[in-house]
Amino acid sequence: MQEKIAKIKIDNTDYKVPEGMTILEACRSLNIEIPALCYMKNISNVASCSLCLVEVSGARTLLRSCVTKVKDGMKIFTNTQRVRNARLTNMELLLASHPAECLTCDRNQDCDLRRMAYDMGVRDIRFAKVIEHKFDKDFTSPSIVRDPDKCVLCRRCVEVCANVQNVNAIEVVNRGKQSRVSTFFEEGLGKVDCVNCGQCIMVCPTGAIVEKDHTKDVWAALQDPEKIVLVEVAPAVRAALGEEFGMPAGTLVTGKIPTALRRLGFSKVFDTQFSADLTIMEEGSELIHRLKTGGKLPLITSCSPGWIKFAEHFFPEVFGNISTCKSPQQMFGAVAKTYYAEKMKIDPRKIVVVSVMPCTAKKFEARRPEFDSAFSYWKDKMELKDNEVFPDVDHVLTTRELGRMIKESGVNFTKLADSQFDDPLGVSTGAAVIFGATGGVMEAALRTAYEIISGETLPSVDFEAVRGFDGIKTAEVDIKGKKVKVAVAHTLSNAKVLLEEVAEGKSPYTFIEIMTCPGGCLGGGGQPIPTNDEIRQKRAEAIYKEDRNKKMRKSHDNPAVKTIYAEFLKEPLGHLSHELLHTEYTARKNLVK
Amino acid sequence: METLPKARTDEIIKKYGSLPGSLLSILEEIQISTKGKFLPEEALVRVGERTGIPLSRIYSVATFYSFFNLVPQGKHTIVVCRGTACHTRKSNELFNYLKDNLDFSHIKSSGSEKALMTTSDGEFTIRTVACFGQCALAPVVEVDGVIYGHMTVEKLKKLLKKISKEKAKK
Repeated sequence: MQEKIAKIKIDNTDYKVPEGMTILEACRSLNIEIPALCYMKNISNVASCSLCLVEVSGARTLLRSCVTKVKDGMKIFTNTQRVRNARLTNMELLLASHPAECLTCDRNQDCDLRRMAYDMGVRDIRFAKVIEHKFDKDFTSPSIVRDPDKCVLCRRCVEVCANVQNVNAIEVVNRGKQSRVSTFFEEGLGKVDCVNCGQCIMVCPTGAIVEKDHTKDVWAALQDPEKIVLVEVAPAVRAALGEEFGMPAGTLVTGKIPTALRRLGFSKVFDTQFSADLTIMEEGSELIHRLKTGGKLPLITSCSPGWIKFAEHFFPEVFGNISTCKSPQQMFGAVAKTYYAEKMKIDPRKIVVVSVMPCTAKKFEARRPEFDSAFSYWKDKMELKDNEVFPDVDHVLTTRELGRMIKESGVNFTKLADSQFDDPLGVSTGAAVIFGATGGVMEAALRTAYEIISGETLPSVDFEAVRGFDGIKTAEVDIKGKKVKVAVAHTLSNAKVLLEEVAEGKSPYTFIEIMTCPGGCLGGGGQPIPTNDEIRQKRAEAIYKEDRNKKMRKSHDNPAVKTIYAEFLKEPLGHLSHELLHTEYTARKNLVK
Repeated sequence: METLPKARTDEIIKKYGSLPGSLLSILEEIQISTKGKFLPEEALVRVGERTGIPLSRIYSVATFYSFFNLVPQGKHTIVVCRGTACHTRKSNELFNYLKDNLDFSHIKSSGSEKALMTTSDGEFTIRTVACFGQCALAPVVEVDGVIYGHMTVEKLKKLLKKISKEKAKK
């Protein structure tokens, strides 16, 4: 369809833009900056912040550019005194009730409100400060902490939770100055169907939503001479951590990470990519087993803990389709405190496993009571009592938290020399790297499943069809004449489309990958802020570059994985695997689908 | 504690259907049908299950409108207008009189912005409202749906006595 072009004037300059575009989008496409706190392209246009006001000739009042569409002949002014004064007043009104805690605020470095206020020239707030403590913080979630006093009621979090994730855990409740973002009966995020994805954190323009901080626990463990602190680092972290230190998006810092972690005092620097390869061995074998035995299909991946909690709330009917594999984070913890402890003759109770994740849901996952496999493994052997139970993974840091710890330590990250991850749990292949991008787990599984089923070497390991940021990607893979249909979804609203088919028994697919966050883990709720389409794209490019640079690109080629099967696990889906690497799911309170 | 039978809740939901915009009618009828004139949590969960409207949104609507109650109400509801006209005619004295002379001793903190309190015997609920639109009659008090204009503390005392007498008769 030919789109109509509108001839408009912005600030006395002629432009041609597609008709029907909003003034805000038109301006942004022309590199004219307009402040907006509530607006998010394709996600939220609730028009609540009133910072994006512009003047339009003939209009009685100033208009919100986020919800006003351009029309042919429109004369728009974005920079008149009237516009600037109005925006300034609105900003000052917002700031009058915003706690001036910037110095100690988590979002000190990347707060949209602070930056916009500064850019708009706010140097004084004319209105009487009404900074009263009104609402209590919400500490109920193991992943996310909310401070409604810092909230500017822009509704971005509400919109992302509803429109991107289809979870609807939060809404604005009450009215007038008592308005706040909260949950059903204000029970708190930890008590409702929040999946802990942290996308609300990513879009919050202030410090009102942050991750639950684990840095103090990790510092304490590092200072404890009795403890052996092991760290595992998720794939997506290496494509993003550099941003915390001002490096351009898409800078790979794979080599700097082990150096930095050793400087912080970790005993061994291991890699979640090792357990990602292990996941592929288990999950690939599960897929092959189901194909051979007529088991339940499609098989759905289980790495993304936000999606798993989503299933537990909303789709218990598909439990039988979800892979029983634990996520790589949890597989790592379980083998570190069993296989590695045994191999190195370390008391597993002395081991502290810290994971660095692009994710906030991983904090919840590590706290799941069922994830104490290492304890169960040792219980009889070491005659442990029930009250001596320890988790497989002790502490989870987001990419942002690791950035903060490195800054606290005085390590100059950007100048660090490269070094390697430690053996044996730091060895990985390219298949594990791409776990960090949507479609990556699918591609990694296909590389292995193809070779195991066909007994032949893949002509090309690149499955381009499952890459990229389309909401739902599908492909048909020919494995020696057998056609396998696969689908990949990222964000839970896209996943829901595939899940409804599975629930109705109408899914045409054999294998489905679901990632909770936009773009996959590289766009996770624990990643550097800002994260936007352009930045996600650059992180994805970095991840696929890392994959290409790896000598080995197929999980079943990983020598350390081969060794752990030879020395310890024996075989995929074997008895020990079942005990340490697999799990089951619990139906949770289904508050409304 | 089930304050409205599930079947009755279902009936109400069915009556209005799950069209967008039916939520207000559903909530209104649930409140009217519930002993204590409020919205019980279980009923709201049921509305969510049957209509597919997220619970966070139902709660958002229920807390936005002052008409809706989330806790059981007393037998008699007294609403004191705190709008500008009534305020200048000292409606706060009326509110304070009620607050000090009815038995709210069991309430530790009201916890609600609606200044909504119910006496320990469950007889009276008092609350405030921003405006009844009856400013010419300021100050205005509404008792069980009836508007009383030009209200004074003396008149209020009499009204309370009258209600108590009726109760004694029964």
